[in-house]
Amino acid sequence: MKQFNINDGNKTTSGFTTPEGYFDQFTVDLNNKLKLPKTEVKVISIKTKRRLTTVAAILVVAFSVSIYSKMVINNSDESDPTENYLTNHSEINQYDLISLLDKKDIENLSIELNNFNSEIDEESTNINEIHNYLTD
Amino acid sequence: MEEKEFILKLLNPKTQNNAFQKLLFDYKRPLYNHIRNIVLDHDDANDVLQNTFIKVYQNLNKFKGESKLYSWIYRIATNESITFINKKAKLGGTSSSELKSKMVDNLEADSHFDGNDIQLKLQKAIHTLPEKQQLVFKMRYFEEIKYEEMSVILGTSVGALKASYHLAVKKIEIIMTKD
Repeated sequence: MKQFNINDGNKTTSGFTTPEGYFDQFTVDLNNKLKLPKTEVKVISIKTKRRLTTVAAILVVAFSVSIYSKMVINNSDESDPTENYLTNHSEINQYDLISLLDKKDIENLSIELNNFNSEIDEESTNINEIHNYLTD
Repeated sequence: MEEKEFILKLLNPKTQNNAFQKLLFDYKRPLYNHIRNIVLDHDDANDVLQNTFIKVYQNLNKFKGESKLYSWIYRIATNESITFINKKAKLGGTSSSELKSKMVDNLEADSHFDGNDIQLKLQKAIHTLPEKQQLVFKMRYFEEIKYEEMSVILGTSVGALKASYHLAVKKIEIIMTKD
């Protein structure tokens, strides 16, 4: 009769088996019993990943632009504090200005004003031409 | 991940669910085998396994980290299995060893037992042993649990466990050779 040796290297397993898919079903049943939410590892497809990357890139650019323009506005405010001060705190009126100008300055101003009026007329003529071109 | 870190995640309500899912994933198979070796029947093992995890979940805040998480969970599973088999025997008006002997005799008809002649013979030989030797033999031979860990789970000295296993092996070898 062959001697049976437990430690002969040929290990005998218990022979017990489980139904197919038992352990997966066990997890579902136990979570239901404990009222725990399922935690599944979400698989993101490459297409979705690309779309998400694109959206993220757009958001980053938009966010950066808004911050940059805010910084520029802030900088311009800071760059000319004197101008802001004069706009907000000036108490000079037209009589003060007249008192500071002599006769020659007033003549030069009137020439400049005439030139400006003629430039406006020219621009409005051009605009009318464009308008006519578009309506014809 | 270190055990301390993992235990903190199990105790933190924000991370508890994910940590428990990992625990479930890691332990469900080895614990099932441990329980099945004691209670023998698949449906019984399923019930005990569920009770074990429910107890673990409900008592996480009582785990003080004095022993390893592994030992704590296995101790719960062992207690649940022994309590279950004792209750079942009491309901049937018999002792737990008689009940298990009957169950082993019916293993051939069990649809969740796929053992050959030697496996069946080994199961029958194991169930001729005293209860403690059975448990020590199954944990050491089938589950390959170290004596040091077994000592914490069962609350017995390593020396006593080694002696039990040695005696169990000798008896089993005699039975397996004789028949």
